[in-house]
Amino acid sequence: MIEIHLYGNLRKLVAGSTCSEDTLLEKEYIEGETFEELIKRLDLKLSDLGDCFIDGTLAKKDHIIKDQARVALFPFNMVLLCGGQHLKGHGYTKKDIDVNYY
Amino acid sequence: MTAKILRINMQNLTSTWEDLPENYETLAGRAFTSTIISEEVEPTCHPLGPDNKFVISPGLLAGTVAPSSGRLSVGGKSPLTGTIKEANAGGLTATKLGRLGIRGIIIEDKPPKDTKDWFSIVITKDNCEVKKTNEYANKGIYDLITQIWKDYPNKPGIIGCGIAGQRLSPNSGVFGNNIENTDPGRYAGRGGLGAVLASKRIVVIISDDSGGSTPKAQNKEKFKEAAKDLTEALNAHPVTGKLKDENGNAFGGLKNYGTNVLMNILNEAGGLPTKNFSRGRFEQAAKISGEAVHELVEETKEKFGEAAEGKYGHPCHPGCVMACSNVVPYADSGKAHVSPLEYESAWALGANCEISDLYTVAELNRLCNDLGLDTIETGNTVAMFMEAGIIEFGDGEAAINLLKEVYDEKSVSGRLITSGALIAGKALGVSRIPVVKGQALPAYDPRPIRGIGVTYATSTMGADHTSGYTIAAEILGIKGEVTDPRDIEKSDLSRNFQATTAYIDSSGYCVFIAFCILDDESGMGGMIETVNAFLGKEIDIGEYGMAILAKERKFNKAAGFTKADDRLPEFFYKEPLPPHNVTFDVKDEELDKVFEGLTS
Repeated sequence: MIEIHLYGNLRKLVAGSTCSEDTLLEKEYIEGETFEELIKRLDLKLSDLGDCFIDGTLAKKDHIIKDQARVALFPFNMVLLCGGQHLKGHGYTKKDIDVNYY
Repeated sequence: MTAKILRINMQNLTSTWEDLPENYETLAGRAFTSTIISEEVEPTCHPLGPDNKFVISPGLLAGTVAPSSGRLSVGGKSPLTGTIKEANAGGLTATKLGRLGIRGIIIEDKPPKDTKDWFSIVITKDNCEVKKTNEYANKGIYDLITQIWKDYPNKPGIIGCGIAGQRLSPNSGVFGNNIENTDPGRYAGRGGLGAVLASKRIVVIISDDSGGSTPKAQNKEKFKEAAKDLTEALNAHPVTGKLKDENGNAFGGLKNYGTNVLMNILNEAGGLPTKNFSRGRFEQAAKISGEAVHELVEETKEKFGEAAEGKYGHPCHPGCVMACSNVVPYADSGKAHVSPLEYESAWALGANCEISDLYTVAELNRLCNDLGLDTIETGNTVAMFMEAGIIEFGDGEAAINLLKEVYDEKSVSGRLITSGALIAGKALGVSRIPVVKGQALPAYDPRPIRGIGVTYATSTMGADHTSGYTIAAEILGIKGEVTDPRDIEKSDLSRNFQATTAYIDSSGYCVFIAFCILDDESGMGGMIETVNAFLGKEIDIGEYGMAILAKERKFNKAAGFTKADDRLPEFFYKEPLPPHNVTFDVKDEELDKVFEGLTS
């Protein structure tokens, strides 16, 4: 079994959910399933997602999900606030390259 | 209109206007406050004595049409940390000062020792008055700002100190009124600058921009175009953008959920400090999250219709297009309870004290706003009382009663709350006191996210997340290169972030413009070009930021700070934090590398 915590507009996957409580969805564990495959199984698209985590670590689409994993799904408009300090030392924007997450 | 400096002497209650020196032309916000402090204040002086100065400066673009650029910096030597200090906030005052052509206000000296009177500074176009206003002192700040708008019908900007500051307490912020004057919650909260202002017997600074005008850019056309680019980029971005999409669904993350969108995210990342930094997850985080506030606002709107006062998508200063502030309503009346409830405050007064009731957290925040307390320092200080067993973790009612003690001048508990986490923790026999240079840590545990720990340790201001906010870069990476938040070599990352932050803190821009800057070339160009077009010269962000840091480090060194002060408390190195079960493993040499070789 895997435990999926849903946030923002993804809470709608669980009927009667409320923002002031944890919205939990339990799904059967499938051996070797990747994060991307799990998202498909939930009828979601990667573009629907913001920052997501598997056991507290940023989820990437090819991550294999282990049995008993805690998966957290945030929608596209829920991401960490970066604060504007990336400008120096990185010097570029994300738009012109392929990111290795969604 | 040439920018001016207003210098006020509180020994003889006089003021003078000075032309902005040529070498100050590019300095505003933090660059201005830190330059004045480093050049005019003796680093070893007592922070509450006559030799310290209280410096105010609107960001460079405050009062212009550049979006989200109305931040105000205040600075001085901090009574909490003993270091140089700059704190900034939104509110009305930066815009008013910008429109009055004031680049900075320097308040120096203090009235004779036996003076019992309290004063207000009233600034209007080309004029400044120092007024005796004892009726404004020793009063809750909600009542104070209401009174001032009755006394001054032109809806002025107000900044000042509350009861905590007036008792010269290290845990005291500088409040600012919000646009509607319904809440004093626009706080430059950190570092006890409220007490510095009060040491000069000043309660409030009132600014009325009647007759003022929009500051003019050197290159008007270029400025207008760049501001337009930045506005468009901000509006289009899913984090900083519009409230609803074309189907009426929630779109912009900040407008809908505010900064407290982070509560659930940090909780899932395992970096949400809980129960005085004992673990990285709070099981009840959802109850005090930005989503919960959004839901409460919706429920009260439905129930009370037009009488409902709760809001999300609320701007913290005129011209802010991101509008990440909120007004938390009372559930049983729909009336405004507190504004704003930010992530850091909800964390400090909630998760860190294991308090999971949204009303209680909002009430604790309201009390801080009324008393003139910094919410981050206060939450950490309440946690000291809990760690010591004086009150129980999770006991919200006891926490509210504890803060109410502050109204009683003779309450020792109240005095400890206004003293901050370090003094309260020591007085109560607590060994796990989360402070750096005397300032309590904010809402990101440095053990699973090491770069922010490097910033806490090495910041010129004591533990401060805004000094160099590495969080997203560590967890999400930049340009597709996801760095490991558990990586321990973070000196370059932290230094670069600290330098860029110093630039942004000087521009007047809010740090959250970063989303579109990162994701959209025109957004990034918009920010840089507005600053360059305003000044009529090219500014190198890194050089500008490092120059500020160099001045601040030099001041701190002369004040007696050494490498040994650039460290986290011992328990972060020794106690593993669940769920990642890691300690802060960054070596001292790595911390020392952050500012190695930096000279002013």
